[in-house]
Amino acid sequence: MSENATAKQIATTNGFEDLPANVRSLTDLVSRQDAPLQDIAKIICGDANLTRRLLEAANPRATCEEDYTITTVDGALMRSGIGGALLLAITDPLIRAVKRTFQTMLAIDFTDVAPGILPTLDGEHVIGEVAFAGKATGCVNLRLSPAAAIAAATTIMGFPPAAEDLNDVIGELSNMVVGNFKSNLCDAGLNCKLSPPKIMRTNEFKLRAADGGFAQRTGFHSAGVDMFVDILVNPWTG
Amino acid sequence: MPAKILSVDDSKTIRMIVKRTFAPYEATVLEAGNGEEGLATAAAEKPDLIILDITMPVMDGVTMLGKLKEDPELKGIPVIMLTAESGRENVTFIAKLGVRDYLVKPFKDEQLIEKVSRVVTLTPKAVAA
Repeated sequence: MSENATAKQIATTNGFEDLPANVRSLTDLVSRQDAPLQDIAKIICGDANLTRRLLEAANPRATCEEDYTITTVDGALMRSGIGGALLLAITDPLIRAVKRTFQTMLAIDFTDVAPGILPTLDGEHVIGEVAFAGKATGCVNLRLSPAAAIAAATTIMGFPPAAEDLNDVIGELSNMVVGNFKSNLCDAGLNCKLSPPKIMRTNEFKLRAADGGFAQRTGFHSAGVDMFVDILVNPWTG
Repeated sequence: MPAKILSVDDSKTIRMIVKRTFAPYEATVLEAGNGEEGLATAAAEKPDLIILDITMPVMDGVTMLGKLKEDPELKGIPVIMLTAESGRENVTFIAKLGVRDYLVKPFKDEQLIEKVSRVVTLTPKAVAA
């Protein structure tokens, strides 16, 4: 490759992944300020996975589908507005980024599952947080039990990590996940910037959205490590 | 003569992975934790290749790359970007600054070896008898 390698050459040789057409269309619509909700609803209705996730987000207290008080895409969009669609649009690339990062760096094959399927993290656990700010503003949290965090760091480093190294590994994994996710957002017109990763310990497992904002938690299950990933999006200002 | 590779990344984990990846080869891996340290090390050591992250404290990778290209002593050192940022706009901008290649995190060791071996000669270390 020449010194002045073009972006196209670089993209070709690195195989940057495009979003699926329906997610791309949804993100394109959401990134506009004047997209009619019925156009957004049409795309979501055509995709069972997007529909499932929107209804989950619209019924935050429900533990199963039978508990849903909002049962249609139109109803869910009426309640959540464009912010709900935004959350839905950006959760898909986030899930892809989590799976790609953990498969490539740790050979962990995660399956994304409803968070209620996994045991909750009781007691102190580790959070890797990266905030994003721009057209879409919020943060992404990777939540692991201390044992899962140590297992991940040990796999990457090849030996059990010191506390400082553990933080660095979880921070870098968070950075890779959110960096990839951010690239998809930017390509779709939702430009944003990232904060440096922050590592925290907490006993608080409850998912809390900001007033008027939206939050969604996804569980990730593998043979050896389980993890939760939260995305919190601040109120949509267009 | 071992290849001299400079890894510039604020993550100790990434610098450690780079170092481990080239341990089986006749290569010396130098480390810097940000762009400012990277420029100083590049000026002092004249590496054969720089592996450069983008988002770093003190001085980011794009600023370091710009300063490197402005310096007649250093502008010839090939640079491979190693970053989690792959947005097309970003990549286009960085490609125009002049990089030899671009590797997106997450990455596998083999991908890094493959890209680096296109720029410098990697000779496996002789196995002890």
